[in-house]
Amino acid sequence: MSNPGPDFLMLLRELAERRVDFIIVGGVGAVLQGAPIATFDLDLVHARDPENLERLVDGLLALDAYYREHADKKVRPTAIPLAGSGHHLLMTRAGPLDLLGAVTPGWAYEDLLGQTIEIEIAPGLAVKVLDLAMLVRLKEELGREKDLAVLPVLRRTLEERGRK
Amino acid sequence: MEAPDNSGEAPAGRLSSDSRPTHSEDGVDLTLIRWMLSLTPGERLETLQSTVRSILRLRDVQSGS
Repeated sequence: MSNPGPDFLMLLRELAERRVDFIIVGGVGAVLQGAPIATFDLDLVHARDPENLERLVDGLLALDAYYREHADKKVRPTAIPLAGSGHHLLMTRAGPLDLLGAVTPGWAYEDLLGQTIEIEIAPGLAVKVLDLAMLVRLKEELGREKDLAVLPVLRRTLEERGRK
Repeated sequence: MEAPDNSGEAPAGRLSSDSRPTHSEDGVDLTLIRWMLSLTPGERLETLQSTVRSILRLRDVQSGS
């Protein structure tokens, strides 16, 4: 059966409509800021206060989310594990969604909030996105091969944006 | 991404001819970056989704599904 592919707009809309507080990090955030890269999942850092977790779980239920590593059992995400700083690799009806309690220790929602920009991706749908310069810094810190591989494109995108 | 997919809804044909370099010293295609920067964020998201779907379709064809 063919795979229809991710629907990032649907994912973001479902969460935004429930007023879930999150920051787009990773590849989709880079694309929104002009980087010509491809990514197959949406990476979000979510706020971990109880009210937001309640809204988030509600949104995940609407998206039919389950953990990718337990795909056969369809283990559903719940508020308690989402309150931690770990990474939750989910599949949804709109494609893969990675929820990060923190990117790395010290880089949780509140720590990153001052490094975000708000971008309107559709009429009435504005989302917080990690600023490209900060994304470059984080990827430099992480230093994994997959992060290093994309850094030249992100750096040149920053430069070209500066020239505009 | 080697080349964005223009087969979807995102507008194409906005590449302009100018004297700026086409590639950076480290080999990054600057024309793709300039093209992406010419789009709105919503168009960039559509381009990404079209690209990913094209890749998945190609993979499906290869696997015979």
